[in-house]
Amino acid sequence: MSEKKSRREALGLAARGVALVGLGGAAIHLFRRPAGESAWQLDPNKCVNSQLGVVGVEACDVCAVECVLPLSAVRAINESAICGRCYICPAYFDVKSAVDEEGLPSEKLCPRDAIERYPIGWVDPDDPANNYYEYVIDEERCNGCGLCVMACKEPAGLSSIQLEVRHDLCVDCNRCTISGVCPEDALDRILPEDFPLSVHGTRRES
Amino acid sequence: MSRRLLLLLLLLLGVFALPGAAQDHIDYERPVDTAPQPDDIGEDYQLPEVQTPLPRAQWRAILDVGLLAAALGLGAWIVLKRRSRAGSIALTVACLAYFGFYREGCICAIGAIQNVAVMLANPDHPASYIVVVVFFLPLIAALFFGRVYCGGVCPLGAIQELVVLKPVQVPRRLDRALGSLKWIYLALAIYYAVLPAVDRDFIICRYDPFVGFFRMTGFAHMLWIGAGLLVLGLFVGRAYCRYLCPYGVLLSLASRLSWRGVSITPERELDCGLCVDACPYGAIEELRAVRHNCLFCARCYPSCPNQKVLEASRGGEEAPQ
Repeated sequence: MSEKKSRREALGLAARGVALVGLGGAAIHLFRRPAGESAWQLDPNKCVNSQLGVVGVEACDVCAVECVLPLSAVRAINESAICGRCYICPAYFDVKSAVDEEGLPSEKLCPRDAIERYPIGWVDPDDPANNYYEYVIDEERCNGCGLCVMACKEPAGLSSIQLEVRHDLCVDCNRCTISGVCPEDALDRILPEDFPLSVHGTRRES
Repeated sequence: MSRRLLLLLLLLLGVFALPGAAQDHIDYERPVDTAPQPDDIGEDYQLPEVQTPLPRAQWRAILDVGLLAAALGLGAWIVLKRRSRAGSIALTVACLAYFGFYREGCICAIGAIQNVAVMLANPDHPASYIVVVVFFLPLIAALFFGRVYCGGVCPLGAIQELVVLKPVQVPRRLDRALGSLKWIYLALAIYYAVLPAVDRDFIICRYDPFVGFFRMTGFAHMLWIGAGLLVLGLFVGRAYCRYLCPYGVLLSLASRLSWRGVSITPERELDCGLCVDACPYGAIEELRAVRHNCLFCARCYPSCPNQKVLEASRGGEEAPQ
């Protein structure tokens, strides 16, 4: 009885050792490989909303609707160095809405009121149209619906707004649900150093 | 001809007569074809800092791994040493809260099967260390202690564990037949993972029935399937774990070789069979716990008269008299 038991224990020990070496070996094999934390990112040159030349079409809101998060990890950013700082920003104002007493469109374009506007630099009170205005997107409110991106596009604007996946918010699904629906295949899983250029050919520092 | 001219004139008049339109003419001298730079704006204007895509937090991955290892160790201690059902419930709730609702069910060892398969099948594929650790740690733990990962650490298991209300014993044959489904699921998962990148499909994540609850949003059909599994789980304990979970296949294989495992009061088992009815997962066969089916819920201990005696004697020792 005890001999039989000890033999079984020895066999069990051997099997366990083999399994441990196998599992550990596979893990170490993978650990010796260079790490690459690839992430989902959106190519502004492919995205319908920012792609140059596509004008007069409805903005695509797939990023806002399809993300598995309650508030999409895709957000709009305004590249300040490119922004025209217009008096009547087509991305801030709904330029088709009625004009109010100040001569500005009465309605904002963003359905979530995520863009702030304030005058900057030297302000001429008699000539507000020729002052500069800063437009800042509130990331907490933006849901990446792309309306402002489409509206800021050349020739109406300078294409300073683009959509971006925020990696600190993105849960990094194996298959991004947005990428499955995106009409232009603009989302791809890439390494940080390969992040796509903006429509102006500039690279955003990360 | 003149009629058309008149019409045009009328139309123009109409445009100018629109209330507000004429008076709100904006004299816009600044042609916006290039972006004004700080010098144009003046007043010591500085370009505002635009938020750049922040990298994923590294500390979070390290914290996840640390907590996973701690939860596995704690689970083994609670179930094998303390034999405490209450402790097991506490661990289940804690892990469901953290790995489930806080970390939103991702990253998990079940889904990591496919990522590891992708990495193993493609030598050029970069390794994600967190995926490797999350995949291998529960398997190595299973070699020592059995399926301790299933015992509340896995958020998918934990959510089902907490809804078990009135479990029925599934007939042994049906249980076995349904259990073979998870092998098919595992085979499909590996097949879809090793396909070339364009055809690759992460089916485990796509058909994860509970992740929608963790994220409080998801595809309607998956939420319905998840809800269905939870309702079924009131009567058939942890149906996903027993019949579908592909990681369960790997864990049951590893736990067959395990060093320790659940045994109801070792040395002095009573053979009374009360624990058989207490086990909602059909993991007690011929009055002994079956290691590769045992899901570490610790329900068997409170049902055991011998265990109660042991508890009482231990309590008596500890209490100052």
